[in-house]
Amino acid sequence: MAPVLRLQDVRIRDNAGGRDVVHRVSFELTPGAVVGIVGESGSGKTMTCRAVLGILPEHFTVTGGTIELLGRDVAGFTGKEWTAQRGSTVSAVFQDPASYLNPSIKVGAQVAEVVRVKKGLRRREARRRAVELLASVRLRDPELVYQQYPHELSGGMLQRVLIAAAIAADPQVLIADEATTALDVTVQAEILDLLADLRERTGLALVVVSHDLAVVAQLCDEVLVMQHGEIVEQGPTSEILYHPQHSYTRLLIAEHESYGLDRFLEAPHAARA
Amino acid sequence: MLRRILGLTSGRIALGILAVIALLAVLGPLLAPQDPLAGSTDILASPSGSHLLGTDYLGRDVLSRLLDGSRVSVLGALQVALVALVVGVAPGIGSVYLGRAFEWAALRLADTLIALPFLVFAVAVTALLGNGIPQAMLTVGILISPLFFRVSRAATLSVARSPYVEAAIVSGASVGWVVRRHVWVKVLPPIAVALANTAGIGFVVVSSLTFLGIGVQPPAPTWGGVLAADLGYLSFRPWAPLVPTALIMATVWACNLLADAIRDVSGEAGRALLNTRKVRAGLAGAGREA
Amino acid sequence: MPPALEIDNLDVHYGSVHALRGASLTASPGETVGLIGETGSGKSTLARAVLGLVRASAGRIVVAGQEVTGYSARQWRAQRRRGTVQYVFQDPLRSLDPDLTVEDSIVEPLLIQGRPRREAAARARVYAARVRLDEALLSRLPGELSGGQRQRVAIARALVTDPEVIILDEPVSALDSANRVRTLEFLKELRDSGAALLFISHDLGSVAGVADRIAVLYRGEIVEQGPARAVVNTPEHPYTRLLVGSAPTLRSAAADRAQRAELRALLTYEGKPS
Repeated sequence: MAPVLRLQDVRIRDNAGGRDVVHRVSFELTPGAVVGIVGESGSGKTMTCRAVLGILPEHFTVTGGTIELLGRDVAGFTGKEWTAQRGSTVSAVFQDPASYLNPSIKVGAQVAEVVRVKKGLRRREARRRAVELLASVRLRDPELVYQQYPHELSGGMLQRVLIAAAIAADPQVLIADEATTALDVTVQAEILDLLADLRERTGLALVVVSHDLAVVAQLCDEVLVMQHGEIVEQGPTSEILYHPQHSYTRLLIAEHESYGLDRFLEAPHAARA
Repeated sequence: MLRRILGLTSGRIALGILAVIALLAVLGPLLAPQDPLAGSTDILASPSGSHLLGTDYLGRDVLSRLLDGSRVSVLGALQVALVALVVGVAPGIGSVYLGRAFEWAALRLADTLIALPFLVFAVAVTALLGNGIPQAMLTVGILISPLFFRVSRAATLSVARSPYVEAAIVSGASVGWVVRRHVWVKVLPPIAVALANTAGIGFVVVSSLTFLGIGVQPPAPTWGGVLAADLGYLSFRPWAPLVPTALIMATVWACNLLADAIRDVSGEAGRALLNTRKVRAGLAGAGREA
Repeated sequence: MPPALEIDNLDVHYGSVHALRGASLTASPGETVGLIGETGSGKSTLARAVLGLVRASAGRIVVAGQEVTGYSARQWRAQRRRGTVQYVFQDPLRSLDPDLTVEDSIVEPLLIQGRPRREAAARARVYAARVRLDEALLSRLPGELSGGQRQRVAIARALVTDPEVIILDEPVSALDSANRVRTLEFLKELRDSGAALLFISHDLGSVAGVADRIAVLYRGEIVEQGPARAVVNTPEHPYTRLLVGSAPTLRSAAADRAQRAELRALLTYEGKPS
């Protein structure tokens, strides 16, 4: 199967600081696959995502390697092409959902707006479709949620709304950058379950970025461990978990084993394939 | 804090100008080369050796009048600022700690005072209580006090709700302790800024009132009064109004500049500034870990 | 040994909202109790009630043998000055006065107790050393320290009055991996001080590693309580099972997606969104 997203030796430079923030990142994403990127803030994981979305900050540029979306090299994309691709091919949700919504507009209208713009539907159609999307992200009462303002919804619900907006134009790739970090652990599980569900139902390919190796391990087929802009370890999830090579990976695993639930849970079975 | 303000260019300029003005206020009358009240036959003269800024319509030396009049303006401005401070700050801090009733009453009073136009009131007061700068300044001070009330209340509120104050309370701190140790330090900088700004307003108010002839009995000289006189004889000495105007402008500008400088060296911005300086001097970094 | 902290059938109301109902919990000296709950579960309310920052509407709170329920404001101040209960905040940056030096912050509880400055400063140095804080940092401002260092300052401040109960609110949530491990290691050592630790968090994972006992708070009620290992391995209440099943683990999924969905449906979610 042809990859929907492909990075080859990507290098990103901070022109203001005069140094590379991402060195030689490569991975492939086929339809329905899930790739996870683990790292702390400053590891380069967010910059990589931004490069894939074409939203690198002012003085950051991709100085080496290629990024291919559905086989096309994004280096050649004009502003217009990027606008066309975002949402329809590649989409994203981030941390702190509240800051991505206009606080004075009802959330339903904000999702409907995405539908109108990306799908060209008219108002009534767009509204109907928006309610459908809200239902597809497992919001219990989508009609009611449609009418609510951001401040009336919990963090978990807001994130679902944003996921609804992100998949409104049926993208092939969804990037979740620390999308569950600010949420309570049970809510985090709900969102991750939702993403897994979407992947199964629609064949959506996911890039899950987190500082928590367990979050990534739960969902992903392949894991990239990043530190200081470099991939220090990369491979199938089970390999990374059972045969970690790099000291940083081992530190992350040790943290869970010493202080996490892993210490307690009896009868471990194989990690998700 | 003074040192830090002097560390900024804006601070140096502001303090420099204000120092000169203060000096004029104190020493002005002594420095005046001529008697500011002495008229002469040499009216509306251009600048010369004996009259550096020329003479006005009564033959009085303009320079001497300005030097002598600086006292009124400076004292008047200070009076406004200090009255506003005294009347506004304590209730501002108190509104956070003295209970709901007090808070409500103080807020409503502040709202009322803000609604009143202070220049008009100043004029009205002089009509009622007699012609005099102190009465007018007292009124203006009271009417401007809501500014200090708001500023000190806002600063106190932001501190009162913060975790470090809660930490102190958890350790058994009383309200007095919290105010003395945590609130006071945070409230001073915004008050200093408000003070500088209010002094600037005070200058404008004094100049406006004396321009209108209110507050001082002629022939006592004031900047506003000299300006008014100059405007009356524009055709004879067209450049003349520029001098008192320049003086007033420079003073007010310096006040506002000082307010900005104080703001830049205190609070969040000030700590960031301090930190950058330390980093540059190579002092910080010794304690930082990876 | 009498418990360091005893909470008996505690009820707290915020206006008409019943934030905490019938909560009962004890902590013995040297024991670490993890209190797990989501946002809005009432865990912060419980902590605030123990500190006297909110008033209990029913029930008893006994701290180091001293019953504090129904204390007046003055009695609370006196109680707090004894320094028997201390609190470590979630966000170390905001829990330290940015204009006071590290030493000033650490000595504050002692100064409030009325001790002379010199004695307080000496104690501060001792405790700074205990939390492995470099002495040079004592004269710095909080803004100049890293997140991990600030957290240690906050912990030193909490230790300085030799408390019998220390409440820690999400002590590692704001920290990154390396600091998190370091802080958790350190918290294990805190036990040696003999104090009872009450560890409040929404993250079962971070707490399980250090807690002796775990209490699970759900919608204002403690729904399960017991030794950490038991609660994690054989959870009884559906919410506990969901919690254990939701916490991300590396090698085993304690529950899978279908099980979680089932548990969510089981817990009556009326009124609770999503």
